[in-house]
Amino acid sequence: MRGRKRGRTDSISSESDEQLAHLAAEELAPLPDWYDEPDSGPPVTSLPGEQKSRYECSLDGVSAIGLPRPGSKEEEDRLVQSFLSGLQRLLSQEDNWTFWQQLMLSLDSCVRCQTCNDACPIYLASGKQEVYRPTYRSEVLRRIISKYLRRGGRAFAKLTGTDIELNWPLIARLAESAYRCTMCRRCAQWCPLGSDNGLITHELRKLFSQEMGIAPRELHEQGTVQQLKVGASTGTNPKAFKSIVSFMEDEIEEKTGRKTKIPVDKEGADILLIHNSGEFLSWLENPEAFVILFEKAGLDWTLSSELCGYEATNYGLWYDDLQLARIVMRQTEVARQLGVRRIVIGECGHAHKALTVIADRILTEQTYVHRESSIPLLEDLVCSGRLELDPARNDFPVTLHDPCNMVRLMGIVEPQRRILGRICPQFREMAPHGVDNYCCGGGSGFAIMNSQNFPDWKVSVSGRMKFKQILETFQDVISPDIRKYVCAPCSNCKGQLRDLFSHHDAWARCGIFYGGLAELIVNAMVDIKGPFLTWEWH
Amino acid sequence: MGVTVIAIFYGSILFCLVASVYRVVRCVRAPLHLRWELYRGSSVYELPEWWTRPQVSFRAKAKSVVLDILTLREYYHRNRRFWYSLIVFHAGLYLLVLWHIWLVIAALTTDAEKAPVAGVVWGHVATILVGIGGITILIQRVADRRLATYYPPIHYLKWAFVLVTLVGGFYAVQWHFGGDTAAVMAYMKDQLSFNMEHKLNPPLVTALHVLFVSPWMVYLPLGHVMQVFFRYYHELRWDHVPNLGGGKIGERVGSLLSRPVHWPAAHVQSGKTWREVAGELPEEATRET
Repeated sequence: MRGRKRGRTDSISSESDEQLAHLAAEELAPLPDWYDEPDSGPPVTSLPGEQKSRYECSLDGVSAIGLPRPGSKEEEDRLVQSFLSGLQRLLSQEDNWTFWQQLMLSLDSCVRCQTCNDACPIYLASGKQEVYRPTYRSEVLRRIISKYLRRGGRAFAKLTGTDIELNWPLIARLAESAYRCTMCRRCAQWCPLGSDNGLITHELRKLFSQEMGIAPRELHEQGTVQQLKVGASTGTNPKAFKSIVSFMEDEIEEKTGRKTKIPVDKEGADILLIHNSGEFLSWLENPEAFVILFEKAGLDWTLSSELCGYEATNYGLWYDDLQLARIVMRQTEVARQLGVRRIVIGECGHAHKALTVIADRILTEQTYVHRESSIPLLEDLVCSGRLELDPARNDFPVTLHDPCNMVRLMGIVEPQRRILGRICPQFREMAPHGVDNYCCGGGSGFAIMNSQNFPDWKVSVSGRMKFKQILETFQDVISPDIRKYVCAPCSNCKGQLRDLFSHHDAWARCGIFYGGLAELIVNAMVDIKGPFLTWEWH
Repeated sequence: MGVTVIAIFYGSILFCLVASVYRVVRCVRAPLHLRWELYRGSSVYELPEWWTRPQVSFRAKAKSVVLDILTLREYYHRNRRFWYSLIVFHAGLYLLVLWHIWLVIAALTTDAEKAPVAGVVWGHVATILVGIGGITILIQRVADRRLATYYPPIHYLKWAFVLVTLVGGFYAVQWHFGGDTAAVMAYMKDQLSFNMEHKLNPPLVTALHVLFVSPWMVYLPLGHVMQVFFRYYHELRWDHVPNLGGGKIGERVGSLLSRPVHWPAAHVQSGKTWREVAGELPEEATRET
């Protein structure tokens, strides 16, 4: 059943196992004409038979969250009731004080002008599949609320256009659908009336998690729960972290010829620097660059080896308010125990938003500590002349990826540009950029979600517009002999770019590399002997 | 009939006022929420120690609201095709509202003989603009597949009713009052006086117009129009005031954290307060593996 071009939502209740959307390579948004996209078959491989019989995947043939099929009709009915109870809680000021006001605004103010449609990189990349229309899941939710929770809703359902059948297939598809939106909120930025489909996605995920215990294991068990228990969502415990720090000291000496003692658990420091722990495992050069910069500038700073003190991520932001609050409390507690004046967040977009902005309404006098981004601090180091920099060392094409959480959702737009303007003679902007940027496709947890056939979907659909943009930006220097750098000051964005570039073999075929911002600054430092960037694909 | 018309019309105005106040109070009294703003450009977070920096000024906020509402600039930038009909409709609507306000003021303060001829022209131009805009929007909503997507059937009736209301008003002014501003002002003055004679025996045309307008009075506070204005409520759009731990915000946060959590999923630990839940580890995290 294709039928995707019509704006219909009632098929979401279909009892049939048939998918609502079928992704076909020829229907995806085209990449630039001159780019020879390898013919690698269907964009998303079908789930193997065993997984197909175990997990719900009738939205689009993809299983992101591994939602098990209910074993009986009774279980289905129980789950439907549970969903309705959760929805009531979502609409209650008492139970959902955290986002009630924004949710009501978003539910009530949409006039179905569909202005937001062209803002959604997933909808565009998919070839405008109906189930990825940014208003699709919001509309389904509005109809359920109107028909099942409002007085007289059933009687006037046809007239009010809210006639929808609430059953388990609908809920299963809606749960998967909540994980087909990166919550980049580009659609919300475009909405003339302030309706926020990203927020509705967030609230749906919350309902599934807080009411029904349904969440992707990468975000919950392996994410927030592991972070609270072990110290980091990567599974790095304090002992392992200290070993990594020691390794970093050796590497820094090797790279710079300078012996450096990295401050850890230094009480009373001005700054507690917290990185996304993924940096320590996958992109160690980024925290190393911070060490070099902070030490060179003579800042009074420290890392922490306490649980959650060396992990800036907060995956609770994407699916569960309670988990969000728990992690915020741990992070600020670590800072208060160390007696630091402020927390500075490394290159991690969602950690910026979670700890600086959202946490602002969770903290009290007993838990408060100042929190800020590292980007303005880096700008100060670069632009104040405290570092001796030679832009010629970065004389290769560089573009900037704007992490949604840092830019559109927080308004940190210019400092990173001013830095690149100083140190990268061949810096060029993507189009669009800044607050109008496209998400990398790994937002809202997608970068770390790798179960079933979801990785295929991430690189084929959610990251497609970003890859297209990057190709277009480097069109005049696309030869693999010219090394190019996508600066992504966000750990999760880097994870997605890594997967995206691997899928397209972009390093070998086009010479496109990616990395953080701090590395570029260190690479330009004249008192570092050799180049800091190694251009080693990993 | 007069009593019924009076009851419906003034009842609808009263309902509009009471319901609007109720919704505003509900919005303002809603619990402090977590912050979730969007930014159209640079923000205070670009500055080191942002919590010490000045916030967005009232003037900047007011300018933004006025530009949004008067020019529908978001539509202009994002959906130009729809903007043309919307701006005609809204310009007409604003003029029509202003015209009614002017009529009330003029009826109370000016002699009918001195009524400007342009008074009726103003009303007619406004009505025609609303009509043209409304018809164009309705056509677009039917013909444009995207604008028809998810559009509830009842809203087509709404647009039809807009046009009926407009025609009723136009007919009353142009034919019943002969297109004479002085006559319209005299009628308005009569309505604003305590003279019940004319109110209890209204002409059919004006009675019908008043009856057409009444449902709109009821609809206004219930429909999305009111909700759209709430987006300008500062805590939704410009909530940049930093919580420095103590102070009013800190107190409100403290009180919210004392509320019990009722979400039933196992990891939540329902029944405890927010403060307890956030301060403790979920069972999954304390279990030895």
